[in-house]
Amino acid sequence: MKWKKLGKIFDPTEHKLPNNCVEYAQSPQVIVKDDFIRIYFSTRKIDPKNGKFLSHVSFVDVDKTFKNIIKTADETVIPLGKLGAFDEHGIFPINLLEHNDEIFAYTCGWNRRSSVSVDTGIGFARSFDGGLTFEKLGDGPILGPSINEPFLVGDAFVKKYNNIFHMWYMFGTKWQIYGDNTAPDRTYKIGHATSNDGINWCKEDGIQAVPDKLNPDESMALPTVVEHDSQYHMLFCYRESSDFRSVSSRGYRIGYAFSDDLIHWTRDDNKVGIDVSFDGWDSEMLCYPHLFKCDGKVYLLYNGNEFGRFGFGLAVLED
Amino acid sequence: MFKWEKLGKIFDPTTTVERPWLKEFSQAPATLIFNDFVRVYFSCRPPAANGQYVSYSAFVDLDRSDLTKILRVADEPILKLGGLGEFDEFGTYPVTVYRNHDEIVAYYAGWTRCESVPFNTAIGMAISKDNGKTFKKVGPGPVIPYSPDEPFVLSGPKIRFFNNKWYLFYIAGNKWVIDNNRPEPVYKIRSATSSDGINWTKTNKNLITNTIEENEAQASPDVFFSNGQYHMFFCYRYSLNYRGKDKGYRVGYAHSKDLVNWVREDEKVGIDISNSGWDCEMISYPHVFELDGSIYMFYLGNQVGRYGFGLAKLNGKL
Repeated sequence: MKWKKLGKIFDPTEHKLPNNCVEYAQSPQVIVKDDFIRIYFSTRKIDPKNGKFLSHVSFVDVDKTFKNIIKTADETVIPLGKLGAFDEHGIFPINLLEHNDEIFAYTCGWNRRSSVSVDTGIGFARSFDGGLTFEKLGDGPILGPSINEPFLVGDAFVKKYNNIFHMWYMFGTKWQIYGDNTAPDRTYKIGHATSNDGINWCKEDGIQAVPDKLNPDESMALPTVVEHDSQYHMLFCYRESSDFRSVSSRGYRIGYAFSDDLIHWTRDDNKVGIDVSFDGWDSEMLCYPHLFKCDGKVYLLYNGNEFGRFGFGLAVLED
Repeated sequence: MFKWEKLGKIFDPTTTVERPWLKEFSQAPATLIFNDFVRVYFSCRPPAANGQYVSYSAFVDLDRSDLTKILRVADEPILKLGGLGEFDEFGTYPVTVYRNHDEIVAYYAGWTRCESVPFNTAIGMAISKDNGKTFKKVGPGPVIPYSPDEPFVLSGPKIRFFNNKWYLFYIAGNKWVIDNNRPEPVYKIRSATSSDGINWTKTNKNLITNTIEENEAQASPDVFFSNGQYHMFFCYRYSLNYRGKDKGYRVGYAHSKDLVNWVREDEKVGIDISNSGWDCEMISYPHVFELDGSIYMFYLGNQVGRYGFGLAKLNGKL
């Protein structure tokens, strides 16, 4: 694959967003409308109770040149969960799927733990107003931990192929303390589930859809799949499980796998065709990829340095 | 009304020695019957560290011909606590067991600690190949998933086998209410069925109506078949200020023909707190079982089993 970088297209610090969110526009994911693109992302506010972050979903509408911002969300897109719920402390990311006259949303809800920092689950919501707001299905997740996926189930990406809903998602395999006086770090992998209705899912439960490249402590997240040239292509981000924030070479990069049947994936990162830039907003890290098609072209939205603190950028696939 | 004759407290965990992990509490008794003894599983705790407990599960073996006679106490917990970040890192309580050929299958609630609420629980599965002395988890995660209508606090499992199907009765939290700045969970009795004990289909409804208030918390759904119908003994309490006599746990009763639709009739339960003694403030976590032609109930008394569990015997039939 060969990607042409089109640069950073949205910086959250230049806009007023609902819920007093000030920085971060993470994991951009789209709904393609007739005459514009709605790009959802997760942004953050400071929890006044303890100074920690709370992630909220917001969106920006851009025209199909991706150069002009039409508007940003002016109200809460989806509320955080109630006391004790899986999405009480954040929703990040959100994946959208148009289904008949509705938009299905697959959320990754965050809740804080005491021995480890967080757990996540996959929630389901629907929009009946074109994606301005979403109504949740219940207070709990549609996918959470199971016998062989003990924690950190999240990052769902859903597509319908041949009348079956397919989901690729993240599941945790390990929490580990790597050094003295360091907090536990997590390791997670990419799994696969299928469904007939998009709500009731059958997980493969602990089976990795994409193999490790670095080592068993490699973390892989945010799978995204597109069908192109009679093949399925998956991008995801991966990193080492420790020292990934401060050491650029251990931080997130984008990986690649391809498949003919949606089940068996061949990993071939050499073909990914995109890497960190020499300087600028994506010079240290690449993460949270999202593939979509628009007017016959394949696009890639992604975050750069500091996990998307100052926005996201775009690349287009060159044939 | 049923007639339960109280036989007194059977086991007091504070009398055990050389088991620092079994210092207090013997909660949620559940039986496994052997040829010459009755193994009673329960959950216990070492002293709280920094104000926070962990819980283990263990057993005491009682003489089958005299249930007031203790033969032995488990030398070690039946199950290890979970690893870092796992659902059962901070506790395994309660536990329910079933003999399946030469294995003993256990379902138990695992405890984890959270930031905004004190804890969450999920139901795990473990298997014993040594007649129930020790159990091994089938995997690092839970067997019953959270779901849109069962968002948290899945606990209190009771495993049963009826009509060639596995039934799991359990509780699911539906909200946390604030009592004196402390979040307290509200939970209701639920069920699921399975053909293999691993993949479960939830009934997805509250089985037992509320009587004292909408936020009544219900626990320990213990189902027993007798006389052509299913009987459920359970316990219930108020949502707030429930750690004393007035609003604490009592034992309730419901019956059903089909295991799905239940008629609650607490007036038939036939057991209440005593005027004085170890069970004069609350009674909870009933477990009903049949032994050599008689029907018995193990249950907890004051402070939810901190100082042990007791036994009652049914006079007449269910």
